[in-house]
Amino acid sequence: MMKIETLRNVFEKNDQAADQNRAEFNRLDVTCVNLLGGAGAGKTATLEAIVPQLSKRIRVGVLEGDLATTRDAERIAALDVPVVQLLTDGGCHLNATLVQHGIASLALTDLDLLVIENVGNPICPANFDLGEHLRISVLSVTEGDDKPQKYPLLFKNVDAVLITKCDLAPYVNFDIERAKGEIRTLNPTAAIFETSAKTGVGVHETAAWIQSVVRRGRGAVTGA
Amino acid sequence: MHEFAVAKALVDAAIDVARDAKMCRVTRLRCRIGDMRQVDSWLLEEAFVLAREGTVCEVAELSVERRHMRLECEQCGIVFDVRDWDWRCPDCGSTGCNAHGGDELELTGIDGDPADDED
Repeated sequence: MMKIETLRNVFEKNDQAADQNRAEFNRLDVTCVNLLGGAGAGKTATLEAIVPQLSKRIRVGVLEGDLATTRDAERIAALDVPVVQLLTDGGCHLNATLVQHGIASLALTDLDLLVIENVGNPICPANFDLGEHLRISVLSVTEGDDKPQKYPLLFKNVDAVLITKCDLAPYVNFDIERAKGEIRTLNPTAAIFETSAKTGVGVHETAAWIQSVVRRGRGAVTGA
Repeated sequence: MHEFAVAKALVDAAIDVARDAKMCRVTRLRCRIGDMRQVDSWLLEEAFVLAREGTVCEVAELSVERRHMRLECEQCGIVFDVRDWDWRCPDCGSTGCNAHGGDELELTGIDGDPADDED
C-alpha cells in the first residue's frame, strides 16, 4: 500500500478556468461582477433598477444564470443591454467553464462592465469562482435577519452586500442592525447598501459604488 | 446540492495525484471540508459513489475531516469553534465575533496500490 500526502484545492480545475476568464476580462478591460443570492432575493429586480442608471455612463452586459426558462434574460433584454442566458438544466450553480461558453457569445470588447447573475441559491454558487473581480451578495428582508450566519459563505468573501426590499422591513420584523451585525462578523469590510428596487431607495448609491469600482480600475479591488 | 460537484472534483484531483504517483488503484481519498462549505456528509457519500465509477478510484473510500468555523471574540479575545451554529462567545456571550477558517475544501491525501504491484 502506498500513502501520499498532498494539499490540493478541490476546485482547482474550476479555479483555473476562472483565472482564464479573469485574464480575458483584464485583457479587454472589462470589470466583472458576480451577483449572488437566494431564489427570489431580488437579484433581477435590482439589476432592473441599477442597470438603466449604469448604462447611461458605462457599457453594461449581463450573463443570466438560471436552472430553466429565459424569463430573467427577457427582463434584462428589455433594458436594451446585451444579455446571454446560461441555463444549467437543473444544476444549482454556475461554474467558470459555463461562464466561458457564455462570454463567447458576448462582444466583450464593447463592454466596460459584465454582471453575472448567478442561479438563485444561497449555498452552492458561493463555492465557485467564475473569474469575477467583484462579488455582490443580495439578502432580502423577507428572508430574515438571521440568514447571514446560516449561509456564511454567501457573505464571507464578498465586496458588497445589498439588503433588498427594505420597504418591506417593517412588515416582516427584519432588524437591519442585527443583519448588519451578522454580516460584519463574517466580513468586516464589505460595503452594505440598504435598497428597494420598488421605491428606488439605495439604488443610486449602489450604482454609483459599482461605477466607481469600474472607473478606479480593477487593480483597486481586493481579493479578486 | 453542490455535493456532486465536490465529489467529482475530489475524484478528478485524486486521479491526477494517482497518475503522478503511478498508482493502479486508489483505495482511500482523504479530504478536509469546512462547515462553511455546507456540504452534507450523506449526500457527499452518495455522490462520491457515482463520481468514482469507472475511474482509478472505483473501489476507493472517502475519509472526511470536518473543520468547524472558528470565531474570535472582540470582547474577551478568546478563539472558539462554532458548534451547532451557535455564534455567541461561550465565555462572555458576546455576538461581536470575527470568523476565521471553516471554509477549507482540500484533498489532503490518497492511499492506493502502486502500478508495479499489480499481477
